[in-house]
Amino acid sequence: MSEAVKNERGTGSLALGILAAAAGWAVPGLGHLLLRQWGKAAVYFLCVGGLACAGLAMRGGVFGGNPSDMFDRLGFFADLGTGGFYFLAHTIQNAGPDIAHASGDYGTRMFATAGMLNFLTVLEAYEIGRGRRT
Amino acid sequence: MTRLFAGLTHFQALAFFALVVSATFAFLSKRGAMERAKYFAWALLAFLLVAIGIGWLMYPFSR
Repeated sequence: MSEAVKNERGTGSLALGILAAAAGWAVPGLGHLLLRQWGKAAVYFLCVGGLACAGLAMRGGVFGGNPSDMFDRLGFFADLGTGGFYFLAHTIQNAGPDIAHASGDYGTRMFATAGMLNFLTVLEAYEIGRGRRT
Repeated sequence: MTRLFAGLTHFQALAFFALVVSATFAFLSKRGAMERAKYFAWALLAFLLVAIGIGWLMYPFSR
């Protein structure tokens, strides 16, 4: 059986799935934009980007790449899901985290949630790219 | 932007979080505008009600 699978919008392929997933991870919504799903692309960019920026604006903490325990590892994994926003975190919020206040703690959770939401959108972009979903 | 979000009350932060997550879930899990709107409204309401309910339950322990 061919790798390509037919769906309502056309032919899907493994390469297109991986490309859409990678693009969607780097910039939330970009994977859907490549797949010509304009509405979803806009909503995902605004929601994930908005949540990530709100988290940083509230001076939430961003987990680094050298985690000391399991919670740090999970936090790092979740934060990494925001893709470009993770690497631009210090540019967007150069004052650094302030988790001594409630808003900073909320910001930490918001940024991690943005990452987890983006992982879900990446999986969807992959499935659409493969032709398994429309 | 920092000033706008850092000044949010607890409820405003919760409402913003609920709004964004509900919208994303609606687009991920439902097709069609009507179905998405219904799911969005229910998810948003559930987020707010559950959070307020848990807040009330925890209130006696806050003193």
